[in-house]
Amino acid sequence: MAAVLRSAILRNVRVPVVGNGSKVVSSLWAHRSSYVRSMSSHDDHLERSQVVDRIVDIVKSFPKVDPSKVTPEVHFQKDLGLDSLDNVEIVMAIEEEFKLEIPDKEADKIDSCALAIEYVYNHPMAS
Amino acid sequence: MAFAMRVKVPPNSANLQEARHRTFDFFRAACRSIPSIMDIYNLYDVVNPSQLRSTIAAEIRKNAHITNPKVIDMLLFKAMEELSNITEHAKQRHHIIGQYVVGNQGLVQDAANKDENVSNFLKNFYKSNYF
Repeated sequence: MAAVLRSAILRNVRVPVVGNGSKVVSSLWAHRSSYVRSMSSHDDHLERSQVVDRIVDIVKSFPKVDPSKVTPEVHFQKDLGLDSLDNVEIVMAIEEEFKLEIPDKEADKIDSCALAIEYVYNHPMAS
Repeated sequence: MAFAMRVKVPPNSANLQEARHRTFDFFRAACRSIPSIMDIYNLYDVVNPSQLRSTIAAEIRKNAHITNPKVIDMLLFKAMEELSNITEHAKQRHHIIGQYVVGNQGLVQDAANKDENVSNFLKNFYKSNYF
C-alpha cells in the first residue's frame, strides 16, 4: 500500500522544492482514485524473506527430507540425497504453493533451494 | 477434455533419456491435475495434495529399474490411461481411496508380512501372468 501511494505521489508531484510537501499530499487525496492504480500489481512483489521461509518450509515438510539439514542453499540431490523424481516433486510442490506454472525447461534447471528462491522471487506472478 | 491430457503422441522414445523426460512430463501432468481430482472425488478430508504427490511418485518409482525405452513407453501409456480415467470421473471415490490413499498398512497387495512363508513361485503367480 505504501509503495503504491509512494509511486502515485512521485508520479504526480512536479514541484521543484519539496518544502510544501504536506500541502501537495493533501490536495492529492481528492484526486486519489484517478491517479492511484488500485488494481495494479506492479509493486506487489513478495518479500524475499517470505519466499525463503516458504520454500524452506516446503522442503522441510517433504517426507524424505531430514529437516535439520535444510538451509536456503541446500542442493536437493547432492546434499539431501534425493533423486531426480524427488526433485521434480519438490518443484511441483513449489508450483502449488506459489500458484505458479513453471515451464519444463526452467523446472529442469531448478536443482537447489537457492535456484528455487531466485526463480520464485523473480517471477512476476508469484503469490 | 480428457483427450487434451494425452500429451505424448509418438509411441517410440529414441533412448532412455527421452523416456526419462517423458516420465517426468507425465508426473508433472499428474501433479497438475491433483486439485481437480480432489475436487471431483471430494478428497479434502481424506488426504493432502502432497500425500497424493508422494503416492504418484512411489508408483513411478516401483518401475524405476526398467531400462528398455519401449517398456517405459508402454508403462507411461498405461499410466496416462489411468490418469485420464481418474480425471474424467470414470472411477469412483472408493477406487481412488483404496488404490492411492490408503497406505501400506491397509492395502492388501502391500501387506508384506501376510505371505512370508509362501514360495517365490506363488508370489509371482499371484502378482501377474508373466514371470
